[in-house]
Formats: sequence, C-alpha cells, structure tokens
Amino acid sequence: MWPQEVLALSRRWLLVTLRERLNLLFSVLQPAVWLVFFAGAMGGAVDSRVVGTGDYIAFAVPGVIAFTVVGNGVTAAMPLLFDKETGYLDKLLSMPIRRSSLIVSRFVFQTVMNAAQVLVILLVALALGVRPASGAAGVLVILVATGLLTLALTAAAMALACAVPSHGTFFAITGFASLPLLFMSNAFVPLSAMPGWMEAVARVNPLTHAIEAMRLLVLHGWSGGVPASLGVLVLAASLLLVLGSWQFARQTAERIA
Amino acid sequence: MGHIIEAAALRRAFGGHPAVDGLDLEVAAGEVFGLLGPNGAGKTTTIRMLATLLPPGSGTARVCGFDVVRAAGEVRRRIGYVMQNVSPMGYYLLTGREKAEIEASLYHVPRRQVKARVAEALDLVGLAAHADRLVQEYSGGMQKRLDLACGLLHRPELLILDEPTLGLDVQSRHRVWDHVRDLSGEGTTVLLATNYMDEADRLCDRLTIIDHGRRVAGGTPAALKDELGVTSLDEVFLRHTGRALREETV
Repeated sequence: MWPQEVLALSRRWLLVTLRERLNLLFSVLQPAVWLVFFAGAMGGAVDSRVVGTGDYIAFAVPGVIAFTVVGNGVTAAMPLLFDKETGYLDKLLSMPIRRSSLIVSRFVFQTVMNAAQVLVILLVALALGVRPASGAAGVLVILVATGLLTLALTAAAMALACAVPSHGTFFAITGFASLPLLFMSNAFVPLSAMPGWMEAVARVNPLTHAIEAMRLLVLHGWSGGVPASLGVLVLAASLLLVLGSWQFARQTAERIA
Repeated sequence: MGHIIEAAALRRAFGGHPAVDGLDLEVAAGEVFGLLGPNGAGKTTTIRMLATLLPPGSGTARVCGFDVVRAAGEVRRRIGYVMQNVSPMGYYLLTGREKAEIEASLYHVPRRQVKARVAEALDLVGLAAHADRLVQEYSGGMQKRLDLACGLLHRPELLILDEPTLGLDVQSRHRVWDHVRDLSGEGTTVLLATNYMDEADRLCDRLTIIDHGRRVAGGTPAALKDELGVTSLDEVFLRHTGRALREETV
C-alpha cells in the first residue's frame, strides 16, 4: 500500500514538473550560469595558494552543486506550502494514507531531480575541462552526498513550510537565509580564508560537509576525509528529518480551517 | 441497518470560543442527511471532526462503526469527503483523469482496477468527454463534478458533501443533485452541509439545523415545515436561527 501511495504522489510531482517546461528548463540551466560566469571570472581573481588548486572552476563545482540543492530544497517544500493554503492538504489527510507518504514522495522525487541536475552540472564542468580525480565511482559518491544534502535541506524547508502562517513568510525567511547559508560555508572560499567566527559557523553548516566530501572527490580523489564528511552529513540529515517529522506531525494533528 | 454516524455530546472550541457545543447526531445507513446552519454555526467544524481532520475536544463520534480518533484509518477508508472551496491550483496542470487516478491510488483502489474505476466515476458525473483536458481548463461546475467523482472512487459507505453546489449555475446544481439522488438510491449514505434551503428540501430525508454549535431543530423537511405551519424551509430556518447577520468565526 505504501509504495502505491508514494508512487501516486510522485506521479503528481512529475506530471506537474514536466508540464512546466520553461520552469524546468531554466531551473536546470541556472547552475551552468554560476559555473560559466561566476567561477569562470572569479578564477582569475583568486589566489591558487589559498584555494589549493589552480583550477577554480573545479574548486567551485561542489559549491554550485550545494547551492543548487539549497534552491531546490525551497522548491521542494512549495507543494506542501500551497496544499496547506489551498485546502488540498486536508483532502489528502482525509484519505487512508500514511502521513509519511506525503513527505517521502517529495524526497524521492526531489532526490531524483537533484541527481539529474548534478549530472548536468558535472557535464557542463566536464565541457569546461574539469575531470573528477576519483573517476566514475567518485561521481556516484557525489550523487550520494547530494542525496543526503537533499534529505537534510528538504526536511528543513518542509519543517519551515509547516511552521509558517503563509507562503509570504516562507519566502521571506528562505530568501533571507539562503545566502548566509551559502556564504557561511566553504562553497566558494576555503574555511582557512575565513575570519575565525565565520569559520566556526561554517563548520556546523551541513553544506560545508557535503561540499568537503565532494571537493575531495573532485580535486584529490579518495581519502579518509570523504567518509568522515559523509558521516557528519548523515547526522545532520537525521536531525533535520526528526525536526521535519515533528513539525509535520504537529501540523497534521491539530489544524483549524 | 445501524447508524453510519453516531455523535454524542460532541464539543470543540477554538481559543475559548465554542464552535461545536454538545452536538448529538444520528444518521442512518442510506439516508441523505442535511446539516444546516448559518455561517459560523459549526457545520464545517462538525464535518472536520467526522472526517478525522480535527480531534473532538470532548464527546465521541463514530463513523461507519469506528471511533474517529482511535480508528481514524478505518473511518478514512470508508468515507468520501468533497470539501468546500479547495482551490484547484495544486493540480491545475493535471488532467481530470490523472487527478482521479492519483487519488484512486491514494484510496488504495487495486492497481488493475484504477483505470476502470476512474472511467466509471468520470462517466457518472458527465466528464468522460473532458477527462483528458487539464483541470485549469475546467469551468467551476466541471471542477466541482470532478471533486465529486474523486469522492466516489473507492465506493465509500458515507459521502460527505460540504456545500457541493456553492457558486454553480442552475444546470450544474441540477446535475449534482441528480448524482446525489443516484448515489443514495444505490445505498450510499450522504451527509450534506449546505446553505441552500431548496437544496436541502429537495435532497434530504432528514436534517438538523444547528446554531452556535448546538442543535436547534431537526426532522424531515416536511415535518419541520408542518410543525411551524410554513411552506418553505427558508422560513423554518429563519424562525429557528433568527434574522441577525453572523460573523464567520470558523
């Protein structure tokens, strides 16, 4: 029964996404803009001794992936946000489905979408001359890291979508939080180049650990740092999942029309 | 046959304000039962409690023989809930057929029966010819009929209709009424919340008028009119609930 529910809901997300072709096209192309225009130009201004490589585009690829996952996490929570406001969430909740199906279907869908987008980013990077040091197996692990980060950020965005009174608040908070989340990570600058307080914040930012794992795989190949960073990411994803489930349970247990 | 809905001393308050205040309801199997009341009287709150969307503050409610709190899952399997005012924005980009197929799966209709059951339900509400158009192209009446079809996919024992003809043209209202009569004829119990007295008069076997969360009158439409010696249910309603305008609080 449970797979039937998750599949049916995923079908809804897939059909709606495929019918919004322009939305899909621009979302998929967005990260390429960062790689080509941002990383391409910044590379000339960055000291290779600070970033540890002369190939800034390769350095920035994990950052662009992480930033894309942040943006998609916000998008991922939108159906929940709007179902809540249109009343369709109530219709869904009056059906004999597991509450978790609503959340899990979104994770499944978003993980697949993000994996596809990461492959596009890696292809664009490939065209710009980036060859991941860890090879094809490394790409698979990059997809795993993306999946974990998707889980963490989607859970956080869903928790927020449950907690806010309306979509205006949701977009105000996510719009405000996205950039500090990105800049207080190692997405485009190594931790060592940051002021001490910022480095301290960046170390507890889940983005940093996802980026660290991916960056090792792209720039240096396999090392012990990869499982260590992925371990922290698993922990962060678990914590945010607990938070998300708690918020969702609160949202669905007591609701005033 | 026993009772499909049995509610006793049902209460629910929001922020100290009682929305439903000690309501008893008994709806027999196969009945079309009307739930009437001015705006803010507690109709939707009552329905939400019966549809397992809102836990009662106190009192008990059993739907299809199951407690709405302790056996919510069993209740959900047996009811079809056609809500008031759900914006179709979330499925504008689906066709009517796709929306119905997705909901059939969510009601656990066996995979092999989904297509047939959806075709049957869409045909019943006269949407077969429009099944593959996007919902955003549907008129208000078509959207309402689609909602009705989606409430029937799992062949519920109890169909809950909250203002099913709100904002519909005369043709669409008559179509919805025909469907309700057909379903009732086939043995489905219907709980109908409405502000239209003509609708209640035409469709309901029995009805209850509530105000301030309490029952103020009840019976068959004919008995309610006879009791006061009036000819219209509007008059019955106004005598029992007064003429003062209400603020919608819930």
